[in-house]
Amino acid sequence: MPSISGQDFFAVFGLDRRMNLALADLEERFYTLSRKLHPDNFYRASKEEQESSLDQSARLNDAYRTLRDPVTRAEYLLSLEGQPVEKKGSGVPPELLEEVFELNEWLVEWRAAAPEPAQSAHRNEVRAQLLRAKVNLEKRLETFLAELQTLFGRWDQALAAGGSQPDRAAIIESMGKVLAKRKYLQHVVSEISPVLEGSAAR
Amino acid sequence: MAPIVGIDLGTTNSLVAYMDRGVPRVIPDPDSGPLVPSVVSVDEHDQVLVGKAGLERLVIDPHSTVFSVKRLMGRGIEDARQEIELFHFPITPESQQVIRLKLRRQVFTPPEISAHILQRLKSNAEKFFGEPVGQAVITVPAYFHDAQRQATKDAGRIAGWEVVRLVNEPTAAALAYGLDKRKQGLIAVYDLGGGTFDLSILKLKDGIFEVVSTNGNTHLGGDDVDAHLIALVISTLKQETGVDWSDQDQVVQLIRRAAIEAKHRLSEQEAASIGFDLPDAKRTRVEIPITRTEFENLVRPVIERTLPPVHRALEDARLKPEEIEEVVLVGGATRMPMVRRLVEEVFGKKPHTELNPDQVVALGAAVQADILAGGTQDMLLLDVTPLALGIETLGGTVAKILRRNSTIPASATQMFTTFVDGQTSVDIHVVQGEREMVTDCRSLGRFKLRVPPLPASMPRIEVRFLIDANGILNVTARDVRTGAQQSIDVKPSYGLTDVEVGKMLLESFEHAEEDLTQRLVVGARHEAEIVIRATEKALAGPAARAISMPERRRIETALKELKQVLPAASHSLIRNKTDELNQATQRLAAMLMESAVKEALEGKKLDDLK
Repeated sequence: MPSISGQDFFAVFGLDRRMNLALADLEERFYTLSRKLHPDNFYRASKEEQESSLDQSARLNDAYRTLRDPVTRAEYLLSLEGQPVEKKGSGVPPELLEEVFELNEWLVEWRAAAPEPAQSAHRNEVRAQLLRAKVNLEKRLETFLAELQTLFGRWDQALAAGGSQPDRAAIIESMGKVLAKRKYLQHVVSEISPVLEGSAAR
Repeated sequence: MAPIVGIDLGTTNSLVAYMDRGVPRVIPDPDSGPLVPSVVSVDEHDQVLVGKAGLERLVIDPHSTVFSVKRLMGRGIEDARQEIELFHFPITPESQQVIRLKLRRQVFTPPEISAHILQRLKSNAEKFFGEPVGQAVITVPAYFHDAQRQATKDAGRIAGWEVVRLVNEPTAAALAYGLDKRKQGLIAVYDLGGGTFDLSILKLKDGIFEVVSTNGNTHLGGDDVDAHLIALVISTLKQETGVDWSDQDQVVQLIRRAAIEAKHRLSEQEAASIGFDLPDAKRTRVEIPITRTEFENLVRPVIERTLPPVHRALEDARLKPEEIEEVVLVGGATRMPMVRRLVEEVFGKKPHTELNPDQVVALGAAVQADILAGGTQDMLLLDVTPLALGIETLGGTVAKILRRNSTIPASATQMFTTFVDGQTSVDIHVVQGEREMVTDCRSLGRFKLRVPPLPASMPRIEVRFLIDANGILNVTARDVRTGAQQSIDVKPSYGLTDVEVGKMLLESFEHAEEDLTQRLVVGARHEAEIVIRATEKALAGPAARAISMPERRRIETALKELKQVLPAASHSLIRNKTDELNQATQRLAAMLMESAVKEALEGKKLDDLK
């Protein structure tokens, strides 16, 4: 059994820390390693080997899950580079202030309208506004992803060129900012859905 | 040597299959052929009857017969309230975190009922091979949570099986489907069984079966269709004759049997009739005609409940329905033309119907068994966990540590520390589910982390949550400073402890019928001993100070009486005295609970202050 314990998630797949990954290639590597490490292959082996296979295939799956998605991949890179993204994200990013403020107003309005009959024109209007605000924020999420992709390109260039430490640190910091904003927004968006669904059931 | 077999432990029927030189085959039951009805009954001689013999007793003696017990696996009483109403399970009042069913003089937990079914399959396999068969792969609905999986594993162990792997039913079906075709591409498995629904999306590539996403409902299936038909018959009879038969269990079972027959005919023809004889003096013949259209209008709400899981699975896989290349139907309920139409509408293509929907899961389990045995070498299954894993944080919210549809085995590590100086333990509550609040998720278990007494926030304990290839959680912890490992025993919120399972082990088949009385006595004694120990411990503890003297005397008398009858050879006597002691200690048990809760709350307040 090959050993992948102690290696970072990129090294598990024999990759350097490049951020633009060819997903088909990653999948191929994942399948090849799965065939070697999966517990199914060790059912008749010794207890030690069984445990090691369970351990290693869990790590392999964790690595694949993390690297497959660009956001978790970036978060992981940041943690490797010693700049983990804060769990809750950081306050309201200034450029989102207006939109988040507007959204909050509609949320207040929506709660105030709760006692009204389910199909009242006013309620429907507020609901439509909330949905519109949600769609807008979701578009913003897309733009953050695009910003992230740009930074991925810059990072990979710096990596290939053996870029200096300050250069790379600057890119990492920018990624961290985008991720924090994105995280904040994601949280806001995730809070709207239950509010809207809860009302539909009433 | 006998092979590892594959078992489909179904809501309605169960099957056992094996791999015969590259081809999976079902081992038939002498009474009922490939399908063994998942019905267990106890007759007047305390004999346990399983399969066809059990099913036949359902209309004669419904109170001593259990069907669809899969609906109760791994569930507490609160959790299963709806099913119990719908299916008239003979629940005992002691049912709490583990449901207990009383069939005549014997009490069974759902895993024990399932164990009798699994034991029947074991005996069928052993007769077939002419030698002992000990290892099995057992299938479970993909959407089963941890406790339901654990309960299935327990059932296997009670029946004397070594359960080498739990495999998700739709995934097993995909294995059987992909075996001879060597398919590539994206497939969806729509699995509507007797009591569970799963929708799994898989990517097949060069022998790898990777589950991309799964979703489902563990309380939805053909049973619910039957319940609608039964309700229709009962209300029709009430309207026409003024008699309400709904509380006559025997009549309800007669109706159920007739309704199922009519349901089956309606898959082949446009009209049928639900016909049976009422057990009244005149043996009145009842015939209620029903057309397929009427039937479909009646059960449409049931079938449409499969849609939200289908859409959630697609959404999680980030796929549009038209991107699915093949759709495979599994489960007897997918024989209904209405289900086939619905699936075709959703995916825009005709589903595969050439597989036998009753057998394909067991056949797939046999394939997985062969993979584990080293026979089939080029196929590999990569399955996922259906529900997110989280831990309770302050304020009753859930911190997600592993998202749903993560490929298993999967792990997540969390660092824990202390809030007060010298704190020696941290309580951790693990939950499964998608919601933000603990109360909306399913409690999976609790454990105490041992911490060296150090100033607050100094200790660093790394806890690793690992979901194994069976979809079952394992927890290990390591002190980061010393490197010392500690084993973690998660106390399950629902389900049996290891010790309880050990006490339930069924005799191997050869001795099963030999000495039933002796077994009953032994079982009763074990139970009595547990109650005695618990009572003595409680009486010695601080909670006992809160009960009155007369109450204490009552408990001590009941305790003494139970000890006296313990050597007796009558299980009913021991059980009666055990029940009396249980009665007497009810308030004491409540106190114990309360003081434990209080302790926990006080602990928390300290933490909050810091």
